[in-house]
Amino acid sequence: MRKYFILLIILNSIIIAQQDSIDFRSPENIKKFGDYLFCQGDYLRAVEEYKSVQNILRNDTVNFKMMLCYSNLGLYETSNDLYKETSWVSPFHNDIELLKIKNKLLEMPRSIQVFYDVPMDSVFSIGISKLNMTSRLYGEDIRISKSQFLSPFDEKENKAAASLYDLKTNPPYKSPALAGIMSAIIPGTGKMYSGEWADGITSFIVTGLMAFLAYDNFHAGHNTRGWIFTTLGTFFYGGNVYGSIAAAQIFNAKINFDIQDGIKLFLDHNNYFLPDYDFCK
Amino acid sequence: MRIDFKLVFFVLLFSITAFCQTEQLKWQKADISYEKENNFRHRDYSFQFNDAGEVVKKSLAMTYWFFISDVDGDNCPFRPSCSSFLIDAAKETNILQTSLMFFDRFTRDMNVFKRKNHYPRVKDGHYYDPPLNYTLSETKIQYIPASSVVKE
Repeated sequence: MRKYFILLIILNSIIIAQQDSIDFRSPENIKKFGDYLFCQGDYLRAVEEYKSVQNILRNDTVNFKMMLCYSNLGLYETSNDLYKETSWVSPFHNDIELLKIKNKLLEMPRSIQVFYDVPMDSVFSIGISKLNMTSRLYGEDIRISKSQFLSPFDEKENKAAASLYDLKTNPPYKSPALAGIMSAIIPGTGKMYSGEWADGITSFIVTGLMAFLAYDNFHAGHNTRGWIFTTLGTFFYGGNVYGSIAAAQIFNAKINFDIQDGIKLFLDHNNYFLPDYDFCK
Repeated sequence: MRIDFKLVFFVLLFSITAFCQTEQLKWQKADISYEKENNFRHRDYSFQFNDAGEVVKKSLAMTYWFFISDVDGDNCPFRPSCSSFLIDAAKETNILQTSLMFFDRFTRDMNVFKRKNHYPRVKDGHYYDPPLNYTLSETKIQYIPASSVVKE
């Protein structure tokens, strides 16, 4: 009885084994696997799967997902090259245009002004206006009023956009010349003006100490030591004036960095005004 | 074939005893140095007389090494260290500017407050402060936020 039972199981396993009729490498299944990888965030492998069926399926969603994959991988130029000419019949043509601008901005942050003759959905045309406006902040000169700049942004984005505009148009730069002059008059004050309080106090103490030691040694008749401290004091004084100018320049570099970083954060936070896609729901 | 377990056990025991760690190896003295390696042991005090300016710059650096750096030990909180900063600054600028940059760096080295939030760090914890930021050329300044860790 047991022998028959085992024989039956073996026989069934052979007959109802995985059949050849299920084609795991069919374009649909490859696409499904690509979708799975895409949702897992494995964009490199997802794009490979999509690439293998791209020409067979001729699917707009697949093509757009490939664009998203390349963009997420940091291959912005490759992403944009997928749609050199936008097909206005594609259901994704709005998304493609927005993603193209995002890729351009990520590739090289600069002022990009894009306008279309073809009517676009209002959500996307507003998104493009927002990107146009935000990218203006990357340029040297914004050349538009604050109200004009803020016009496309909604209430939620307005505050951050306004503060970025203010920072760009009125950056709180420090004057290197003024910092130098201040430190020339009272050592260390130029550094304090540039926000380096502790360095400023140190400069004041060191230069003052050298001046005192020089004076005290000359006063006590120790001329050699007096001259040594005078020379050292002169260099510390010169270094303090020089350092104050450099500190103001570094402060200004920090402001420029903060502006660039702020724009990037603002765009990242709003996902470059791209809509939320439900590809993985 | 019948295995003689007694024999196998005996051979195993014999091999273990014969090839075990010898006393000599086991307790051999290890020459491990716990000294912290100092840069000044690798200083290059040689001169190249091709360029007069180079000789003056190298002399300045060597004077600093001899009188301050080697005496003070590896206590400079910055990278490049003050002497390397002097040499790098000399490569970028002239003697006068190098001196001013160096004295400014020396003053900043003496500042014991608030350095933590002003400089990025290199992997070993030193503050990263490259001379290029102090040449007074705005285009050469590379601002790196203090929270960053820099590859030297």
